[in-house]
Amino acid sequence: MTEFISYVLSGLVTGAVFALMASGLTLTYATTGVFNFAHGAVGFTSALVFFELTAGAGWPTWLAGLVAVAAAGPVLGGLLHKVMFRRLAAAGETAQIVATIGLNIALPALGLGLIDLFNEGFGLRLPSVTEGGAARGLGPQPVETWEVAGVVLDSDQLIAFAVALLMAALLWALMSRTPLGLRMRAAVDRRALAELRGVDVDRASAQAWMLGSTLAAVAGVLAVPTLGLDSAAFLVLLFTSATAAVFGRLVSIPVTFAAGLALGVLQNLVAGYGDFAENVTGIRTAVPVLLLFVGLIVFNRSRDRVAGSIAEDPPPPDYLAGLPRWRRILPWGVSLAALLAWTFTIGDSYWVGVVSQGLLLALVFCSFVVVTGIGGMVNLAQAAFATMAALTVGLALDRGLPLGLAIVLGVLAAAAAGVVVALPALRLGGKVLTLATLALALLADQVLFQIPAFGNDTLGWRLPALSLGFTDTDDPRTRVVLLLALIGVVGLLVRNLEHSASGRAILAVRSAPSAAQVIGISATRTKITLFVLSSAVAGLGGVLYGVFNRMITITDMPAAVGFVWLAVVVVQGVRRVAGAVLGGMFMVFVPELLHTFTDSQHLAMALFGLGGVGLAMHPDGILSQAAERRYQRRRRRERAERAKALAEEDVETVDLARTPETSEAPEAPGASVLAVEEPSPIAAEAPSAADALRLEGAVAGYGDTTVLRGVDLAVPAGRVVALLGANGAGKSTTCLAAAGLVPLTAGRVRIDGADVTGLPAHRRAGAGVFLAPEGRGVFPGLTVEENLALLLREDARAEVYDRLPVLAERRAIDAGALSGGEQQILALAPALVRPPRILIADEPSLGLAPLVVEEIFQIFDELRRSGVALLVVEEKAGEVLAMADTVAFMRLGRVVWSGARSEVDDDLLTNAYLGALEAAR
Amino acid sequence: MPSFPSGRTSKITIGLGVLSLLTACASNGGPPSGNGGSQGVTDTSIKVAGLLTKTSSIGYSTAEAELGAKARFERANAGGGVNGRKIEFLGAENDSMDPATGLAATRRLVEKDGVFAIVPVSAPSFSGMEYLEQRKTPWFGWITNPAQCGLSTAFGYNGCLTPKPGVKLAPWWGEQITAELGGKDKSVWLQGTDTTSSKAGTEAIRQTFSDTGFKITGVANTVPAGAPPQDWLPYVNKVKAASGGGWPDIVASIMSGVKHNNGFYAALKKAGFKGMITDATSYDPKVLADPQSVAALEGVYVGLQVAAFESRSPEVELMKQDLRRTGGQDIVFSQQMAIGYWSADVFLKVLEKTGEDVTRESFLKASDGFSYENAGFGRIAYPRNKTLSSGCGTLVQIVGGGFRVAQELKCVDPVE
Repeated sequence: MTEFISYVLSGLVTGAVFALMASGLTLTYATTGVFNFAHGAVGFTSALVFFELTAGAGWPTWLAGLVAVAAAGPVLGGLLHKVMFRRLAAAGETAQIVATIGLNIALPALGLGLIDLFNEGFGLRLPSVTEGGAARGLGPQPVETWEVAGVVLDSDQLIAFAVALLMAALLWALMSRTPLGLRMRAAVDRRALAELRGVDVDRASAQAWMLGSTLAAVAGVLAVPTLGLDSAAFLVLLFTSATAAVFGRLVSIPVTFAAGLALGVLQNLVAGYGDFAENVTGIRTAVPVLLLFVGLIVFNRSRDRVAGSIAEDPPPPDYLAGLPRWRRILPWGVSLAALLAWTFTIGDSYWVGVVSQGLLLALVFCSFVVVTGIGGMVNLAQAAFATMAALTVGLALDRGLPLGLAIVLGVLAAAAAGVVVALPALRLGGKVLTLATLALALLADQVLFQIPAFGNDTLGWRLPALSLGFTDTDDPRTRVVLLLALIGVVGLLVRNLEHSASGRAILAVRSAPSAAQVIGISATRTKITLFVLSSAVAGLGGVLYGVFNRMITITDMPAAVGFVWLAVVVVQGVRRVAGAVLGGMFMVFVPELLHTFTDSQHLAMALFGLGGVGLAMHPDGILSQAAERRYQRRRRRERAERAKALAEEDVETVDLARTPETSEAPEAPGASVLAVEEPSPIAAEAPSAADALRLEGAVAGYGDTTVLRGVDLAVPAGRVVALLGANGAGKSTTCLAAAGLVPLTAGRVRIDGADVTGLPAHRRAGAGVFLAPEGRGVFPGLTVEENLALLLREDARAEVYDRLPVLAERRAIDAGALSGGEQQILALAPALVRPPRILIADEPSLGLAPLVVEEIFQIFDELRRSGVALLVVEEKAGEVLAMADTVAFMRLGRVVWSGARSEVDDDLLTNAYLGALEAAR
Repeated sequence: MPSFPSGRTSKITIGLGVLSLLTACASNGGPPSGNGGSQGVTDTSIKVAGLLTKTSSIGYSTAEAELGAKARFERANAGGGVNGRKIEFLGAENDSMDPATGLAATRRLVEKDGVFAIVPVSAPSFSGMEYLEQRKTPWFGWITNPAQCGLSTAFGYNGCLTPKPGVKLAPWWGEQITAELGGKDKSVWLQGTDTTSSKAGTEAIRQTFSDTGFKITGVANTVPAGAPPQDWLPYVNKVKAASGGGWPDIVASIMSGVKHNNGFYAALKKAGFKGMITDATSYDPKVLADPQSVAALEGVYVGLQVAAFESRSPEVELMKQDLRRTGGQDIVFSQQMAIGYWSADVFLKVLEKTGEDVTRESFLKASDGFSYENAGFGRIAYPRNKTLSSGCGTLVQIVGGGFRVAQELKCVDPVE
């Protein structure tokens, strides 16, 4: 029993480190939507800073620890946010995954490489990282030990636990007790709404990255005495933490933290009591990986979000579409001819050998073109496929099979492994799929390849050269020709695949999985096809690697190599075979080049990794950049022209003004209560100072679709403008454009005469724009109190509770648990006690009971009286007409009529709706 | 539900078939293309370079073997070279513990730099041996991987550290421990990591300890190899439980990571273990720079396959003198320096035996029946030690933050 308790207690200490690391991972993912595969590398880098400050500069540990955690952590986080994460937030998920994987390679290599460079090049004597070097912890050295309740703990452990608890408390306080935490949580909850409420989401992201990196830094400094400065060990730490984060569904920090602690305990219990499968080498090592895999399958299956089942990003347009076929092929034809000519004339055997190695990598990289380039799925198991195939060949030869048959078997084995990896792909997508493939690759490394019969114990297999009769693959020239032929065949396959029915199916599944499913395209078959093909190609590459090297061992292509491969191939362009070829060449020639001036291999790694990072800027790789730039310029020009043309295009106007004959039409009920004194005329007049909000010729839309086609609209202070129109007329887009969430491609937005067209949403909120968006403008994950606290100080909140007792009763309840009416009242409450300059309400009455609607319209009336300019959008004209001073009617992205409420002929309005419906058809 | 025509899919299948056929239609390869047998040899010089793990992501480094080899070659050159030829030592390449990088570096040395032989090689992930075998290029170094044993071109100064399964290892380690502890009736716990190669290692050592007469209380290949556990308590408890609640007399660690070993030893001591701890990796002055490691390693016995620098033999004194001349007076001696030095030494001896006419063929021929003894590392004979360990080792103890020779270098024959 004491043993059990001591396992639990000391397991909690270990778990504290996992918990810290995992909390940072969850925090940054939840806030920014980017899953940081480099989170462990950030911890490593901070630990490296700590090491250099203590072992190198001789600083006291507390000071070095403080600098490594409180300075290096946030600075690194802030810097990374500025350089890459910010851009990544808007990039596709594939780019996010690959860029952070690149960073994971680059960061440690860069740190270690810089140390080498300073020492070699500048004669500095920075302590370089040596195994067993003085990577000490925060505590005294050597450690002191105490016995606590029968458990012996040492000072490093106690410090780790205390620091972790302290950090957890700080994190909790920060997130739940400070405005900063509130803003971050608001951004997590509803990003767009947070912007509307004045939260600078970009800044909140920056703060989240700084905070997340700080957590990684703390974990790094705490873990370094046991792990050492070993970036591979930090990667293992990341997997374990990722498991905890996955159990917290990448959303909940408390659950993540608890899962981290539990993992620490579990590892101890497995080590202490887990006598299972003693003969299966690696199975105990693989426990976290197994858990990660289970967690991914159980907690992260795409339920409602089927759209996420494949990395969601539509392929880029074909930049070269305008060029004739010969022009597209020309550069490659010429290069190929030149390469062959060189190989058979002046090429010396060493350099031809290097080229053949590059082409071999290119062949392996072609497998990425299939699965990632075409399929949009990021697979980290390619190295495992390659090893699998090569080992199978060795095993088959050992059993006396001929080489040809053995190779076919090897490729088939890899293809079969592809099916196994494809299975999780059927239910997982994006980063979750990537993590799952990584877990499987690690399982292969740690368990499958450890089976003695498979890897011939650790000896590996000797393989014969391939003979083509007159020559064999020991001659690098033969290798070059053979590889070129194979890459050509793969290229044709890829081309056929893209242009075939399967190719279209793949594209359909990739761009819109649910739509594809609806029309009966089987995502399952498509995904499996891709995985099988890709793993077969990777397998063939692995077999040839073994054959050319005349041997294969289980450690020749470790799972981690897959990281580097991916980073390299993606930089050169993962969507085309040409990119794979370039990637292969890049990977062999960069070290050759660097070799001329440094011995350090870290720099090459840093370069490879940074390439992946650069992807954040150019998601289609180097290869397509020139073409892309030309294409973008052309597109921008076209788009501007089209916007202009659309703005000039005529939309049939309507006249809703009452004619004398219809003047006796009964007024809408309640209109007398909200009697209009002085309806203010609008339309394209000179800007009047009394217009709180003005849209002038606003053109806006989403992507290639233009919705607003020159909207002119004025909302004077102290007036209610009702914006009417049929579904699809552009009313909501007008609201969003006014609030700054949808940028204008032409035209202007003015607030009190000042041009705010360029201001982002959160700055416009500061300037007095309050948009209650369609649906409910509340943060469902925050309590009522927190929803209000985002905008109001304590005294103002008290005022709200005075005015709206229904909210006071529910102040501690999550806003998501309120009724629809209560939510709408909560959404408008801040405006009530602190009236904004302009209030825009998009469908405020939608789905609400009549009594509630009345209450809301009373609030509007009160606001009008206090001088607020109100723009109220309704599809159903009913209630809003009763209180409007001015009516604006939209159709096909234009305001086609506006005038005083009293002038509106209700019958004509009805007709206009019907007409708009006609037009929409 | 519309279905798509599968014509294209079948084309893909055909394509795949063609692809496999392209590679498969060939039969097994013929003999490797010949290479210049006297590459790197002139009338006055012989070109040689090394391959080491200078840097690695885990911090492991054998870089100092370069200095060792250089010191030995400089002494040879100062003495007029070998048969009138001086050694042109190009330095060593770095494989950064990555098989692919190591292979590329090997190719560069052979095909671009045109070396005659690769000396020294000390790289745990080295996988260029088949390539070198094809090109009949000899290489000398620290052979730790069974896949490198038995090749015509691979020469370990230490023989073959871990022979292929089934071949018996000389029990020098156990013999030295017996001599130190004064008796064979000892119980031993063997700790390895959770990989096949570590399993093979513990099995080989278990065999020699059994041959010595020790009682094995347990062999555990349980520790994850990739990252040291944050908490060693469960592993330490198993050591105790296996001896019925007491402790074994000896705990031998076959784990290769310094962090692994230091963590394990610290935890053993924390739990009250007072017996002998022994391993094969802790003879490393860098480890002693760290007070934490010193505390963990105090009293630990290290078995090494060279004579310790602390030894008083004239051969070791000469080596230290050479190393200081090449590396400066204030260098800190390390095991890798000795490995580089003795690898170069054995290469020079085989070269001497080869005579005036140096080609790869004549060199390999001369190595057949080569036998040499030296108090610096013991003895070596080829082809015998192509598949067998040299059976020589020293036992060093870490005491007071320094090293003490517990048992001088001794050579032992395998138990038949």
